Amino acid sequence: MGDSSERSSDGPLGRRDFFKGAAAGAAGLIVTGRSAEAAPEPEVAPAPPSVAVPTEAQDLAYAQAQAGAAVAPARVGVASGQQPASDFMVDVLKKLDFDYVAINPGSAFAGLHESLINYSGNRTPEILTALHEEAAIAMAHGYAKAAGKPMLVCVHGTVGMLHGSMALFQAWADRVPVFLIVGQHRNPTGVINLPHSAQDMGSIVRDFVKFDDETTTLERFAESTLRAYQIATTPPMGPVLLSVDADLQEEVIEAKDRPRIPELVRPSPPQGETDAVREAARLLVNAESPLLLPRKLARTPRGWDLMIELAETLQAPVDVGTYGSWQDFPSWHPLWGNGGAGYRADVTLGLEMSDMSALARAARASGRKTISISSEHLFQHSNIHDYGRYADVDLAIAGDAEATLPSLIEEVKKLITADRKRVLTERGSKIAAAHKDAHKRYVENASFGWGNSPISVPRMIAELGAQVQNDDWAIVSGHQFTGDWQRRLMNFDKHYRYNGDNGGFGIGYDTPGSVGAALAHKRQGRLSIGIVGDGDLNFQPGVLWTAVHHKIPLLLVVHNNRAYHAEVMIVQRMCGSRGRGMANASIGSVINDPPISYSGMAKAYGMYAEGPIDNPRDLAGAYQRALAKVRSGEPALIDVIAQPR
Amino acid sequence: MRSRVSGAGLGAGIGAIALSAVLVAQAPALAPPTGDAKRGQELFEKTYKCYACHGYDGQTGNPRLVPMNRTQEAFLAYVRKPATPQMPKFVDPPEKDLVDVYAYIRSIPVAAPTPDSIPLLKGIIERRQQVK
Repeated sequence: MGDSSERSSDGPLGRRDFFKGAAAGAAGLIVTGRSAEAAPEPEVAPAPPSVAVPTEAQDLAYAQAQAGAAVAPARVGVASGQQPASDFMVDVLKKLDFDYVAINPGSAFAGLHESLINYSGNRTPEILTALHEEAAIAMAHGYAKAAGKPMLVCVHGTVGMLHGSMALFQAWADRVPVFLIVGQHRNPTGVINLPHSAQDMGSIVRDFVKFDDETTTLERFAESTLRAYQIATTPPMGPVLLSVDADLQEEVIEAKDRPRIPELVRPSPPQGETDAVREAARLLVNAESPLLLPRKLARTPRGWDLMIELAETLQAPVDVGTYGSWQDFPSWHPLWGNGGAGYRADVTLGLEMSDMSALARAARASGRKTISISSEHLFQHSNIHDYGRYADVDLAIAGDAEATLPSLIEEVKKLITADRKRVLTERGSKIAAAHKDAHKRYVENASFGWGNSPISVPRMIAELGAQVQNDDWAIVSGHQFTGDWQRRLMNFDKHYRYNGDNGGFGIGYDTPGSVGAALAHKRQGRLSIGIVGDGDLNFQPGVLWTAVHHKIPLLLVVHNNRAYHAEVMIVQRMCGSRGRGMANASIGSVINDPPISYSGMAKAYGMYAEGPIDNPRDLAGAYQRALAKVRSGEPALIDVIAQPR
Repeated sequence: MRSRVSGAGLGAGIGAIALSAVLVAQAPALAPPTGDAKRGQELFEKTYKCYACHGYDGQTGNPRLVPMNRTQEAFLAYVRKPATPQMPKFVDPPEKDLVDVYAYIRSIPVAAPTPDSIPLLKGIIERRQQVK
């Protein structure tokens, strides 16, 4: 996950310091991944903003306009020295530094809603109006990964939570914190309120939240809120839920009866045990061909820097896997990849890798070693099988990988002798040469179908990359359906360049997740890009309105293959396996009759849009016009008729 | 639905080079296909929907179908009993259909412009080469 609190990728020990150390050790021979153009690196130079950054005054004016009126104390039903209980709840929530709260309104949290807009002045948190609860939570999911902290979400009892449950599951499977409050009527009476309340509201989603509680008193609300935040943000992270009674929100309390609001205490993330880390270092340093497999490792820019330091110290290849992982390593770094053809790992280190079972089985069968460092070893429950198969690795270290890396790197450095360093340097050179060749071949492959229509996926991406190469950009969607073209054709050289996929392999995250992540990047002046499928966009198109309404700069590129294309291929295989022909294979999987106008859809929500674009010659101009809108602080959408994959 | 944009549309300088540049190795000498390529294209796109995995021109997708290195007989045998579960089994199509599809695939140009002739791709390779 990223960290919006700083513009550069430098953590407490800057990126530059890491590079300095690595270079000094090998007189420039060690593979570092620095751009020759960029060396020497400037003194922590922040990237200039690529989109218009709102000023504080603009922020305030916007929030006040949203609130509609100046902040005022409650004047009816509340005597001097009293306040609505939901005002107290807002005071508790302010302990948690929420910038935003995404809501779809519901009467069961009307008290809290009113306090947020009038008592809090619609400031920290500012309300994001979502048109569906799934969009609200998916926005919070994407936001948390980009901002490095959770977003608050409020939903209505039962119906709102059920709408949002899919997105909650995705956040769970992605190990991302989302802070959800569901309002409900604990003692319902009306015909509407009855189905919107439950004996145990949390049970509806308990299988995919890390913690839930029903807050029956204000004192419990305060403690459970802080506890839930602690739990959500301590690895392994995950969404949390508080159920809050509507009557409790609407109580009036005396000032003297206000419960104490505790301070937020952030637990340090768990680290691997010292002896086990030392053993991992020994295995890695002595290995002839180690392989590093980070997955959801880089929670912060610090994790990104540490991953680079470990790889460069070991001169080991870093295979970040396919679409499931976050941005853990620079995609054009010479050590990026699996080491090249013929590189057979004798020691494999998985970092926050949820399923190493196949690797471990294969390694045991051939006398090779596998190591796992992961907070997944601390996982406490799941009904969902997202934890993967059992992996009998040789060394399992329970601990957050990012938090464990400093001690692992220290142990590795202790063990590297001058002789060993020469061997590692030689290995690194071979890996770097292999990566350079592999990258060249990959780009060569991009030329196939370059001028064809529908537009090839690599051309769709290469044209985009050319337009933003001088911007401080971030891909805020996943890349599940565009293969590896993004990372090959664009240089993912910052920790925030890629925000990861949905986590649970469910369609419908990419569009709202992109909007949430773009909101996090807005204040950094980063230019956010979401490349979303037409199938995905159709799940939550209403989030386009949210992006327009809240002036969230984001370029959405619709990879329009007019189908749920993975299913087209899967049903084809099923038809083939049963020998019943392909004539009916696309029934139920294609979205082409009538063809949907996604530019028309976006325009209906007030968004600048162009398309459908099916001629590759028209792409550059369309991107330029849309990006001009985005750089000025607005969202825009380009509909691209593209090859299926 | 699909078309090949003319070489002139690829940008200044590309069109002239595209015709002469051959990126991939030519297929080994194979007997000429015996089917109807035009009918095969119709079958490829609409009846058997080969485009789903291989792209509308067999040039994109995974795996790419050009250059087609299999003989007609080997192609027919493969599609009826593929070596990978990722490939659907085409057990029921008449042989004539598969022969025509094969003829279409063989008709697809093997040549692709070299990255050097496409400024965008050339720039990507150059920028990557600068990362030491």
